[in-house]
Amino acid sequence: MHELRYVGGSYPVHDVAQKVTGELVYGSDFTLPGMLHAKLVLSPIAHGLVKRVDASRAEALPEVVRVFSCVDSPMTTFCRARIHPGQDLVAHDETLFSEHVRFVGDRVAAVVATTRAAAVAAAALVEVEYEELPALLTVEQALSRRDVAIHPGGNLVYEYEVEKGAARAVEGAVVVESVTSTPRVHHAALEPHVCIAQGHGGGGMTVWTTSQGSYAARTVIAELLGLEYHRVRVVKLPMGGSFGGKTEYIVEPVVAFLARELRRPVKLLLDREECIRATMVRPATCTGITTTCTRDGRLLDFEAVSTLDAGAYASSTPDYGIHMTKKVTKAYRVPHYRHLSRTVLTNTPVAGAARGWGAPEMAVAVETHMDRVASALRLDPVEFRLKNLVEPSDIDLVTGLSLGEARVRECLRRGADAFDWTTRRARPVGRGRYRRGVGVAVGAHKNGMYGAFPEASNMALKMNEDGTFELSASLHDPGCGVITVMKVIVGEVLGVHPDLIAAGEADTAVTPFDYGTYGSRVTYVVGACAERVAREVRARLLEAAADLLREPVERLHVRDGAVWVKDDHERSIAYRDIAVLSGMRHVPSISAAVTYFATSNPASYSVQFAEVEVDCATGLTAVTDFLAVGDVGRAVNRGMCEAQFRGAVQMGIGYALCEQVVVDEAGRSGVAGFKNYHIVNAPDMPEVQVLLVEHEGDDGPFGAKSVGEIATVPTAPAVVNAVNHALATQLSELPLTPERILAALRGREVSA
Amino acid sequence: MRLQLTVNGTPRGLEIDPTARLIDVLRDELQLTGAKEGCGEGECGACTVLVDGKAVASCLMLAVQARGREVVTVEGLAVEGELDTLQQKFVEYGAVQCGFCTPGMLMSAKALLLQNPTPSERDIRVALAGNLCRCTGYSAIVAAVKAASGQEAAPLMELPADPGELATEATSDPETLEAAREVARRAAEPRRDEEVE
Repeated sequence: MHELRYVGGSYPVHDVAQKVTGELVYGSDFTLPGMLHAKLVLSPIAHGLVKRVDASRAEALPEVVRVFSCVDSPMTTFCRARIHPGQDLVAHDETLFSEHVRFVGDRVAAVVATTRAAAVAAAALVEVEYEELPALLTVEQALSRRDVAIHPGGNLVYEYEVEKGAARAVEGAVVVESVTSTPRVHHAALEPHVCIAQGHGGGGMTVWTTSQGSYAARTVIAELLGLEYHRVRVVKLPMGGSFGGKTEYIVEPVVAFLARELRRPVKLLLDREECIRATMVRPATCTGITTTCTRDGRLLDFEAVSTLDAGAYASSTPDYGIHMTKKVTKAYRVPHYRHLSRTVLTNTPVAGAARGWGAPEMAVAVETHMDRVASALRLDPVEFRLKNLVEPSDIDLVTGLSLGEARVRECLRRGADAFDWTTRRARPVGRGRYRRGVGVAVGAHKNGMYGAFPEASNMALKMNEDGTFELSASLHDPGCGVITVMKVIVGEVLGVHPDLIAAGEADTAVTPFDYGTYGSRVTYVVGACAERVAREVRARLLEAAADLLREPVERLHVRDGAVWVKDDHERSIAYRDIAVLSGMRHVPSISAAVTYFATSNPASYSVQFAEVEVDCATGLTAVTDFLAVGDVGRAVNRGMCEAQFRGAVQMGIGYALCEQVVVDEAGRSGVAGFKNYHIVNAPDMPEVQVLLVEHEGDDGPFGAKSVGEIATVPTAPAVVNAVNHALATQLSELPLTPERILAALRGREVSA
Repeated sequence: MRLQLTVNGTPRGLEIDPTARLIDVLRDELQLTGAKEGCGEGECGACTVLVDGKAVASCLMLAVQARGREVVTVEGLAVEGELDTLQQKFVEYGAVQCGFCTPGMLMSAKALLLQNPTPSERDIRVALAGNLCRCTGYSAIVAAVKAASGQEAAPLMELPADPGELATEATSDPETLEAAREVARRAAEPRRDEEVE
């Protein structure tokens, strides 16, 4: 490959200048003239039927425009997780407002008022009478109480089983079992969910959203409201984080409905408590694993059963269950693999998409299990994994797709060296109050949806009259630098600085179809589309230059914003001059539009190493050192790629140690805000070293693969394994709160 | 009720609801939307502003409590378009991703540097303990604050290029350009002839 000029550099996010001055208008800052404010009325009970709604006191307030509720609104159902009208496996089980409330936080009504304060005050005045039904708050309750159906069709909403390969009996094989559970967690994007919509005369509407998929939002809204798609324009606004929490359409349908009914602009901005209780959480899971291994440490058989708590609506959790079965064989060679996943409805907060889509959950189960096997075989955890990890070009046993340039072994080897694993693992953990341990974990994730869903993107790119460029694409930047990545890729192909390329975000009325920021597809699929469209424009640019320079195209190349004649360092023509001169001739605009189809789905990998110190007196765990190694193919924007790992590790440490949305016996979440939902803060974060493994060979732009999701996949199990090393425990119920750690140490001597 | 205060150096007088929070007056009345509301309970720090030089969660303070005092928001950090050193270092060190915590981070860091111009890394982390970030893992933010206090490490990011500089970066060599112009001119002529015919 030729030397890269811009790819691999480090660039701030594209709107950094507006972010440091406070001038960027986020969704929550967005206003329109005459805009009304909505506030939701949420169910305070976990399961029941609405008998009566009395909004008279609320509607008596002068600022209140109207109250909508389940007794006077359409009962059309929708699926919040849908991204395409032709999609399978979507449960249309939700309505705008619920007569049958299924969790604490279910929407019962919405108050619309001229000010936010009035809407909040009026919502408290809406009286709702309920008839309570038995609340099923755990998966066990939901499966045993067949007499209580959260939705018609039963509480076991989906089962998926995969079996591949053949079991081989080996004498003296070692069987190891484990059961692991992971909590439901809050995404904790700093900006709460928000949506603004305006109904237009003539039946159309515009919706401004901070979501990860504008076309997906449109399919949900248009079908629900019975509007033709071309009458619904969805515009993506700058957003303060998502992590999957804004890939499903929860506030958008409601706001679109209110705006259409009232023919006024309406804004709904949730508060933190509503975000935690009434949007969605990462599903709680429980996975039992049984493996069989030869005595020298080769996996023979891997069997797993995963149970996912979908909460009160199915949402994307059944798909999540499918994807949990597709993680193990991306990382490990297993002759026989069987995995059953079961998705169960409960009367708890709705679960759905979260960074990693089942991979972090499975990584906790698999990687804590692998440490148990290593321990049973008296093998070092790194050594044991090296006996079983996949090699480049292996076929994924479950999906049948090539894993591509899978460099997971290289990640593990180089990481173990950089972390000084062997020495640190051999160090005594200590016998006093503070115990120190190290742990390692492997994670694997995908690159887009190819293999499960038609995977493609569309883009148009044009050269402006002054030689600058504009990319038209339905990009959705959650804040991690999606737009910058596209600019760097296009800049590399065209030989211009990325800042000479403008790229905006999705606007369904303007930008071509794309699914959005889903499934680790952005760099690998959307980025490849950007590379292709830039190559098309480069070809047209070279043709125009060839014409002007009276040189064959083969003699020309691009560099530094100009076309140069090869082997002639004197002759060049700047893009600006090409744009002007060819524009005056017969090429009014140098531009191209392409559709790119992905035809591969290699794996991205991360191997992470944690050092922890556990205080045996308080049960508190401090992560004292951390190394994240990533097989990302190619870092397009190096600084931001590394930054993704550091942020992902913050999220994973919280998953391992403290984050959890608990639900009490009445189904109420004990978590009402950041006061009792702790995400790791600056003093508690270790310095995270990042080591990137880069190579060519996969179909992404310049070899690049996904990073945002894989970066958090193995973090939690690395921390848990380190705690288990420090304490000689086999803890596998997350999070490892001080209470759980103290319970595990009970009865043991701890010298001061 | 009437409220008099100074915001970003400008004296302001306005009619407010006595129960209004400072964040609402800043965002809704003064259109200073830099301060963000991430939790409304003083836990996330996104709404941090300076009141008489001290970092304050503007969601926990009544506007009336700021009477007669000097409030600085993120919009007041840059002077006549010139970024404050802290803002500049946040850009250079890649301390910004989604950016929703950034205004609060900047103001907490500003309060720290006003009190302690050469903080240790621990001082910085403790000063930012009340500012949550879900994107960065804090490293780049801490490095940026350190750099702003003169403890510079190697900046992580390439700065956004100066548009003026970029526009002049590529120039055609004069001879080639003149020849190309001639080609364009000549190529245009026969067409005109064709039109005449």
